[in-house]
Amino acid sequence: MQESPTQQTCYHCGDACTEHIKANGLQFCCNGCRQVYLLLQENGLCGYYDLQQVPGIKVRGRFAGNRFNYLDDETMQKRLSSFNTDTQVNIIFSLPQIHCSSCIFLLEQLNKIEPGIISSQTNFERKEIFISYDPRLISLKKLVQLLAFVGYEPDINQEASTGRPKRSYNRGAIAALGVAGFCFSNIMMLSFPEYFSGGEIEEPWLKQTFSYIILALSIPVLLYSSAAIFKSAFKGLRQGMINIDAPIALAILMGFGRSYYEIITGTGAGYLDSATGIVFFMLVGRWFQNKTYNALSFDRQYKSYFPLGVSVINNNKEENIPVTRLKIGDRIVIRNEEMVPADAVLLEGKACIDYSFVTGEQEAVRIEAGAMVQAGGKQKGSAVYLRVVKEPSQSYITQLWNNDIFSKEKNQDQSFIHPWSRYFTAVLLSIAFLTALFWAWHDPSKLLTAVTAVLIVACPCSLLLSATFTYGNMLRIFGRNKLFLKNAAVIEAVAGITDIVFDKTGTITQTGKASIQFKGQPLSIEEREKVRQAATQSAHSLSKALAGPYESSEAVGYIDAFEELPGEGLTASWGAASVKLGSNGYVRGLPAGKLSTAAEVHVKIDDAYRGYYEIQQVYRPGMGPMAADLLPFNLHVLSGDNDSEKANLQHLFGTDIPMKFAVSPQQKLNYVKELQGQHASVMMLGDGLNDAGALKQANAGIAISNDAARFTPACDAIMDGTVLHQLGAFIRFAKSGRAIVLASFILSILYNIIGLSFAVQAKLSPVVAAILMPASSISIILFVTLCSSAVAHRLGLGKN
Amino acid sequence: MSAFFILVGISMMVAGSFLAAFIWSVSSGQYDDDYTASVRMLWDNPPAGAKKNDK
Amino acid sequence: MQVEKFYYDNRTVKNFAYATIFWGAIGMLVGLYAALQLVFPQLNVTQYGSFGRLRPLHTNAVIFAFVGNGIFMGVYYSLQRLLKARMFNDTLSKIHFWGWQLIIVAAVISLPMGFTSGKEYAELEWPIDIAITLIWVVFGWNMFGTIIKRREKHLYVAIWFYIATLVTVAVLHIVNSFELPFGWMKSYSWYAGVQDALVQWWYGHNAVAFFLTTPYLGLMYYFLPKAANRPIYSYRLSIIHFWSLIFLYIWAGPHHLLYTALPNWAQSLGVVFSIMLIFPSWGGMINGLLTLRGAWDRVRDDVILKFMVVAVTAYGMATFEGPMLSLKSVSAIAHYTDWIVAHVHVGALGWNGMLTFGIIYWLIPRIFGTNLYSKKLANNHFWLGTLGIIFYAVPLYWAGFTQSSMWKEFTESGQLKYSFLETVTYMKPFYAMRSLGGTLYIIGVLIMVYNIYKTVKAGKLVANEAAEAAPMVKEAGMHKGEHWHRWIERKPVQMMVFSLVVILIGGAIEIIPTFLIKSNVPTISSVKPYTPLELQGRDLYVREGCYTCHSQMIRPFRDETERYGEYSKAGEFVYDHPFQWGSKRTGPDLAREGSGNLKKSDGWHFRHFREPSSMSEGSIMPSYEFMLHQELDTASTAARINAMRTLGVPYPKGYEQEANKDLLKQAGTIVNNLKNDSIRITPNKEVIALIAYMQRMGKDISKQQ
Repeated sequence: MQESPTQQTCYHCGDACTEHIKANGLQFCCNGCRQVYLLLQENGLCGYYDLQQVPGIKVRGRFAGNRFNYLDDETMQKRLSSFNTDTQVNIIFSLPQIHCSSCIFLLEQLNKIEPGIISSQTNFERKEIFISYDPRLISLKKLVQLLAFVGYEPDINQEASTGRPKRSYNRGAIAALGVAGFCFSNIMMLSFPEYFSGGEIEEPWLKQTFSYIILALSIPVLLYSSAAIFKSAFKGLRQGMINIDAPIALAILMGFGRSYYEIITGTGAGYLDSATGIVFFMLVGRWFQNKTYNALSFDRQYKSYFPLGVSVINNNKEENIPVTRLKIGDRIVIRNEEMVPADAVLLEGKACIDYSFVTGEQEAVRIEAGAMVQAGGKQKGSAVYLRVVKEPSQSYITQLWNNDIFSKEKNQDQSFIHPWSRYFTAVLLSIAFLTALFWAWHDPSKLLTAVTAVLIVACPCSLLLSATFTYGNMLRIFGRNKLFLKNAAVIEAVAGITDIVFDKTGTITQTGKASIQFKGQPLSIEEREKVRQAATQSAHSLSKALAGPYESSEAVGYIDAFEELPGEGLTASWGAASVKLGSNGYVRGLPAGKLSTAAEVHVKIDDAYRGYYEIQQVYRPGMGPMAADLLPFNLHVLSGDNDSEKANLQHLFGTDIPMKFAVSPQQKLNYVKELQGQHASVMMLGDGLNDAGALKQANAGIAISNDAARFTPACDAIMDGTVLHQLGAFIRFAKSGRAIVLASFILSILYNIIGLSFAVQAKLSPVVAAILMPASSISIILFVTLCSSAVAHRLGLGKN
Repeated sequence: MSAFFILVGISMMVAGSFLAAFIWSVSSGQYDDDYTASVRMLWDNPPAGAKKNDK
Repeated sequence: MQVEKFYYDNRTVKNFAYATIFWGAIGMLVGLYAALQLVFPQLNVTQYGSFGRLRPLHTNAVIFAFVGNGIFMGVYYSLQRLLKARMFNDTLSKIHFWGWQLIIVAAVISLPMGFTSGKEYAELEWPIDIAITLIWVVFGWNMFGTIIKRREKHLYVAIWFYIATLVTVAVLHIVNSFELPFGWMKSYSWYAGVQDALVQWWYGHNAVAFFLTTPYLGLMYYFLPKAANRPIYSYRLSIIHFWSLIFLYIWAGPHHLLYTALPNWAQSLGVVFSIMLIFPSWGGMINGLLTLRGAWDRVRDDVILKFMVVAVTAYGMATFEGPMLSLKSVSAIAHYTDWIVAHVHVGALGWNGMLTFGIIYWLIPRIFGTNLYSKKLANNHFWLGTLGIIFYAVPLYWAGFTQSSMWKEFTESGQLKYSFLETVTYMKPFYAMRSLGGTLYIIGVLIMVYNIYKTVKAGKLVANEAAEAAPMVKEAGMHKGEHWHRWIERKPVQMMVFSLVVILIGGAIEIIPTFLIKSNVPTISSVKPYTPLELQGRDLYVREGCYTCHSQMIRPFRDETERYGEYSKAGEFVYDHPFQWGSKRTGPDLAREGSGNLKKSDGWHFRHFREPSSMSEGSIMPSYEFMLHQELDTASTAARINAMRTLGVPYPKGYEQEANKDLLKQAGTIVNNLKNDSIRITPNKEVIALIAYMQRMGKDISKQQ
């Protein structure tokens, strides 16, 4: 536990420390972190810091005590918990913050801190925690507050509360895979005697026994493991299309059928080893391709963004109820930083609503009593009282979701190999037919052998394998580069796009972040704190930039007087002391204009002009080069915000690309629709609720996020903002996928030709078949995996 | 080689029982999370009163 | 429901740890002594101390006493902590511990006394076999009991390795120990010749697999992460590692019988299988080593990690060499030579030894609530051990390769270049060097004994280590206070595993005889059952453990047919209960000792047994002088004949009555031959029977031509 003396970083979260907050000679960046450390330390949980360097999660500010009040609601508890008696409650929270073994260490020993917790088990894969606690000793609210305090605030939303679907898929698939593997390998073993003895095992009865054991072993593969393949083939046929699984299912049936016939009639040993092998490799492929990011949610509903609880005033008594029980006419209280759950009318208080999340509009709007406030807006400043005028489900923002595009599924595994398989099957069947004719003519006795052999050898399993393994590997590589795709089909969607639409706020720019420089005579800690507090009172975007996180323990008392001149500036005073923030004109009273290109906030403390903050919206690094890199595509920029940044944008993207400002979510959606109307295949990049419609409408909707596990709207892929500049490489990589698959198609067709040439001559001995099948499959797998990795490397996606 | 008969038979019996074990472990969710367990085994839980984990 | 306080049982762990150390030292010292006997034959003092009886003692002691106790030590420590529960039942733990030690003591006494079933690594006689089975069941009961009352839902991968060990070892032991007792501590293997060989090596290999490997992999997956305080490199890989291993391992075996009378395809099966085993084995090794990635600096100054790293590396080397050795061309060279001895010792000294030491150093201070007495001494132990392994293995690899090539070397005129004896005397310096390596290794162990002794003195055993954990959380649907049979319904697997042992015992007893009585091996008309005297002689051959140095299986190579006569056929062994093919040729092959150009006079054999070097200068064979005086136990002849008949050897009905008459008649003729050779001896001496057996070997088939 040594901290380097050179650069002071927080012992808890590793952030740089601006001032000296110490405990036990350890450095902390803020009181929050320090408090967590002290808590762990007094409960002997400092092993937390031994497992991993600076594992902690920075504690952002204090917690409004009543933030989790709604959790006291009975029905809410019932809804969230999976098992509920008066002595024990089991509950599963999703904790996106889980990131290292230290997290597990801390979370699984919570009962050391809070005896009310009976046991807590984390699921690292799904970033979940299973807690069972004694409701007599600790309330759900207290539990959640504890989690939030140590830095793991549960992601509780209405979806979670309505119970997640159980993913039993994996278990079933893995079991099927295991069974297939077991039977396949043992059948192999039992088949070797046949081959090695050149079919001449000394004791015929022993040979008999072997082939019957083999038969027995193959049954579970046929009936259990291969079920998935048959199902998919059958589904295809019912929809009148022959998908890739159809010929495979056919081959499997043939392989098993013929082998059973041979074994039972004693005419041969069959080749159940190949038959089971096919199934096994198919399943391996599927397993490999089904890389799912359990921790991520690709289809969040708007509900996820809304608060679960809200404080309602009933006959002057405030109580906390779940939003779902909110009725028209209810009086509700919305405090600082809280979201308005339903369209409502402002009754009293100065509302200052920030719609950026809903519309992308940066500037907060002032609302006078009597005006409408739309759901999804966030109140900045003191508490306000409203009356609900629409059910939450009817409010403006949610209308977006009544759009039918949210009901239709997209990018389900409609791989481009499926259409191909139609022709493939046609060719296959005709070859089989010709072979049949030929032998019927020459030597009918060999007819069955030849035909079945054709159907088995020509099985397109290697074709399917190539696709599944290529895309499986690509999914992994994308993932390693912080682009998480919903499924393999998305790769093809990305490969096909012609137009790219960017959202501005939070996509090209970084929300919340702004580069702030103070020019003038430096401020003391106390003065900085005063400025911060003053700024907190205002909802102006520039003020927000100044109102950074709680950073100092210095007590500066409470603001007595505060006045703001909208668009000009503000004045806050502590008795005699005062702080004036605002435009050059407002602060200095001079007509002087701006001193720089960037936005400025001038500062006057106690009637002494001290200088000004230079504030600039921060664009993600590498946007310019990216735009250049994406020349072959048609770029578009949409923004819910005003056009104040237009100049900068054109500087980055060039003047000739279409840019639209102050666009509503619905308009964004329509814009994408129009493009598609002109036969464009669109990729939409956006964050936030306001892009959800467009993301869903686009052929490939990519949600940008600063923390892949945090809120992201429904989409096909989630991209970490830090890698946005690599977009070009990503698209090229996706395109290469097709090429690789096609190449391996050719390879496998060669195999098939070799195999067929044997088969049509009815000359295919079980041994050759047995060797050919795994050999071809494995070589294909190696080929595609190596290719895709190589390409990734060339595109600079190979690292780590 | 009647010994083969016995050996193969018994081998299959054993292997079979392990297959059953495999299916049980998968279906009972043993492998739903294939990371946490490897970390969890690192610390034994002494009673809260007893010696603390910190150095 | 609340968090439960409970206590881990450290006393049993401590007992097993002590036993491991104690028997380890003993077993290795016996090994060293046996090794020295190969350099100084005069060290073979009295019949109880002859190489043929000590070598089985060595193998059994290190495998079942040292490694065995090591396994139990590790399992009892890790199982409790992984499952967050005390062992199921303290009494069972006690029974398990003391029972196992009694079995070892019984072995230590019975083996030197010559009570042996004559099958490698399964020499112990039937009463001990039964005892082993019972104690093993106790172990299983205790283990599954703990699993059932566990507080941790997930079964860590190590536990799966333990379960695999428990089940398979039980099965292997029972199947291979099928023997027909015909007296207290005397029995014949139920299988004959080729079949016996097959079963034996199916057991032999899987014993290595499931007694020396799987449990230790389990221990590695627990103690390596613990010692390094970082999770295993890839837990998913370890899961795949286990299941792929377990689904296939049971196929091992036949590759120990390459070029023997075993059917060709069976041999090839063994080869293919062994090659495939590289993947799971190396999967495990890589997983172990990568766990330390980024922590190699710590390995440099943490002696425990050093031990473990060397252990895992040795495992990797051994599991790579194994498959190589199972390639027919390599096996042709290495089989029967000291190469194999080197191979197994890399595994035993490196993998099992070093890992055990690492675990002991890690675990003893913990259960005694203190620190290791001296890191420095532990370090010395580490270096001595590592050097010891090198000094042991390298000379033997060299020796094996050289001897094999000397055996195969011909002169221009097409004569064998070297007599067997020449190749033996050539070995002596290598054997000496090997003993040096062994000595270093043992000195290391003794240092550990001291170090541990001081550590224990410094600390105090925490017999019951307090711990707390919440009971396994009940998901909705499961109920409290369930009946004993409830878990059966819920856990069909455990039920299966449990019943398996029972089924096997019962079922096997039912089935096997019916199959084996008339074996389907192609019989050779001229091959006849042994005469009573020869049978007695053969049993003496088994008793003295001659198979530890002499093979009875001529492989179809020019040099071997040249040296020993026609290669062996499966049909020749139909009456051999147990088979005596052997696996090592410290001395020459004896399959055709009584026929062809190898035939020697009774007198020669007599003198050779009395003082080998008198007949072959520089021989390292022990003297069997005591057989010249020891009376042959003719009382048991009838019992032996009956037993053999039950096993399908066609002795005419009631033959047991006149058996001894024939016996004396045959003995008489030998005595006369000896008299003509001016040797006086009465016919009722053991040596006579042994000579008779020598003269019989390989005769039948030569009659045929």
